[in-house]
Amino acid sequence: MAERGFCLVHLKAHDNIVEKFKFWKNALTISWKEYLSEIEQNPLTGEWSKEIASYLISNEGT
Amino acid sequence: MSRYTLIITEKPDAASRIASALDAEGKAEKNVDNGVPYYIAKRNGDIVVVPALGHLYTVAGKKRGERGYPIFDFRWVPRYLAERGAKRIRTWLNVISKLAENADKLIDACDYDIEGSIIGYCILKYACGGKENTAQRMKYSTLTKEELEKSYMEPLSKLDFALIEAGLTRHEVDWLYGINLSRALTTAAKNYSGKYATLSTGRVQGPMLKFLETRERTIKCFVPTPYWNIKAKVKINRAILEAEYKKNPVETKVEAEALVDSCKGKDGETENIEVKKFQQKPPLPFDLGSLQSEAYRLFRYTPMRTLNIAQSLYLDALISYPRTSSQELPTTIGYQAILKKLGRTREYTALTYELLSKPGLKPTEGRRKDPAHPACYPTGNLPDRSLNSAERNIWDLVVRRFMSVFGEPAILQSIKATLSINGNLFQLNGRRILEEGWRRFYKPYVESANVILPPMEEGKKVSVEQVVLEDKFTTPPSRYNPSSLLRRMENEEIGTKSTRAGIIQTLNNRKYIREERIVVTELGFEVLDVLKKYCSTVVSIELTRKLEERMNEIQQGKETRENVLRDAIDILKPATEQLKENEQAIGSRLSQALMKARLEERVIGACPVCKNGKLVILRSRKSGKRFIGCTNYFEGTCKTSFSLPQKGLAKPAGSVCKSCGWSTVRIWIKRRRPWNLCFNPECKLKVERRKND
Repeated sequence: MAERGFCLVHLKAHDNIVEKFKFWKNALTISWKEYLSEIEQNPLTGEWSKEIASYLISNEGT
Repeated sequence: MSRYTLIITEKPDAASRIASALDAEGKAEKNVDNGVPYYIAKRNGDIVVVPALGHLYTVAGKKRGERGYPIFDFRWVPRYLAERGAKRIRTWLNVISKLAENADKLIDACDYDIEGSIIGYCILKYACGGKENTAQRMKYSTLTKEELEKSYMEPLSKLDFALIEAGLTRHEVDWLYGINLSRALTTAAKNYSGKYATLSTGRVQGPMLKFLETRERTIKCFVPTPYWNIKAKVKINRAILEAEYKKNPVETKVEAEALVDSCKGKDGETENIEVKKFQQKPPLPFDLGSLQSEAYRLFRYTPMRTLNIAQSLYLDALISYPRTSSQELPTTIGYQAILKKLGRTREYTALTYELLSKPGLKPTEGRRKDPAHPACYPTGNLPDRSLNSAERNIWDLVVRRFMSVFGEPAILQSIKATLSINGNLFQLNGRRILEEGWRRFYKPYVESANVILPPMEEGKKVSVEQVVLEDKFTTPPSRYNPSSLLRRMENEEIGTKSTRAGIIQTLNNRKYIREERIVVTELGFEVLDVLKKYCSTVVSIELTRKLEERMNEIQQGKETRENVLRDAIDILKPATEQLKENEQAIGSRLSQALMKARLEERVIGACPVCKNGKLVILRSRKSGKRFIGCTNYFEGTCKTSFSLPQKGLAKPAGSVCKSCGWSTVRIWIKRRRPWNLCFNPECKLKVERRKND
């Protein structure tokens, strides 16, 4: 297990999600929660990123 | 039979063809001794041609039956001593030895490359009583009568020892890597779980898996980002055309929508029309890699399949030696004679006539060279048996590529028209062929290049039918397929042209990868993680390339076998020590991955009843019968089960029923065509069939 409770495999996916949020926010004026829900449902999102998105949706408070 | 010349070939087919070519009457006599065929040709004395069966000797540990690792002492032995199921080799070698006893001259006529040179060398050294220094060498690139006769009449006075030395080193280094690393992985898993499963890696296999794993990680961690493309549908001379917004892609939705709004209801105007003529050069002659890539692009043949087909066409003397890295066609192959012979086939008559009418024939050539063989070309011989469709495809491809390299460049015209719609610039792109040149010879394998635009003038009004906003997302990098992976290895200069395709197959067999658009399995990830963690040097692309370069340098006399072997051992010693020290941890990781892989092989799909379990093929402990059950049964939450046919083999089909959408199972039963079974008892198709019955 690495930092933030994610294994190394998922940590990279997590970092990607955080990094790409600024592009989404700029493109769509979207909230973090909406963003997570968008990428969770997008068929182009990688398997590990989807897992992290689902995890964040169910574990993060508003 | 008195004294004779003994010729050794690599394969039985080649022996038959060489013997027939050398016999004065073209009818060599076939003999069989203990199941081993050999041929007697008469030509100013007797010539006996005996084939090998590919490699008859291999590298093995010095101590027979040694099971552990590391092992760094090796020797060359007959294959029957090192491999199970190679008993036939003993008889084969006995027959060759017997024939060599009465021979007054020996000629090595195996394929002129690394593998062929080792095959001939080992037979001459070990089975013919140390004749490797006195034997002569036939060198040829096609199995046509003319070339075989010439290579027999003018053989090389000795074997190509530099090539042999490089080949022996390559085999020895590969054996050292393979045996030590594969044993370490297999032993770790077996000692931990008590179950045997072959886990392998090798000098090229490891780095190849690393390419795939890196790509897989990028895909699995990919997060798409949105962008927008704007297109305008414009009407010019009754034709509706799509013009692309010049600043595509647009990064924000607000900007994209504002742009569409500003174009609404406005007409356009042609601002600028740019017409350019350009040349498209003929393609290069085929080396093995480009033949494999092209066959995959056109026919979806895997590189391995293309190699096998090309090999069989070579043995039929229809094409030259395919395992070549050359992109050159020397004049000595006789361009005119080949084209004249090809012209006897109706499809090629007009094309060859056109080429032969040219004042001179000069092929387009590439930079890559191969000291042993030219690029792959058709011999001009026509098939004397009926070719199957795959063989015909590859032969036709080689013939048409050969013709096209002599063609003139094609002349194309590109048209770029810029339209302004309320100050926003859009572009129309057109292209047409003015002179076909070489493209005529390569039909139907060349893609059509024409995108015709209607005649246009600058400053004219254009009616805008619609401005469309397309929602888009960035896409992950595409997965490797066998062809693109092969190209990547070629570019990285890892592995040899003859072995790359086989290694992709091995990764598949080991279940490290699956599917045509390659997906790395969990087992593949785990094996690579172990190698990266405990011995990263063995999967280092940089180190592997350096080792490859040094092995090539042996062939050029710039490096020695001893140096390369010593350095390979220096890499492997600490690697195997690390693997041994951590055997328990490695065994645990690999065993779990193997267990998952075995389960994954039996997973059919999601359980349609509980929705979160997986349906797997199971066997009842009580009755021994095969059935489908849900993985949640073990948690006590789902009792879904379905029956399966008990005969034959059943595996997840990886497809769904067209009627009900449930996953299907593929059933193989002897003497029957395999079929996909839908196990849903309520499937509409089944219900209808029952009613009809």
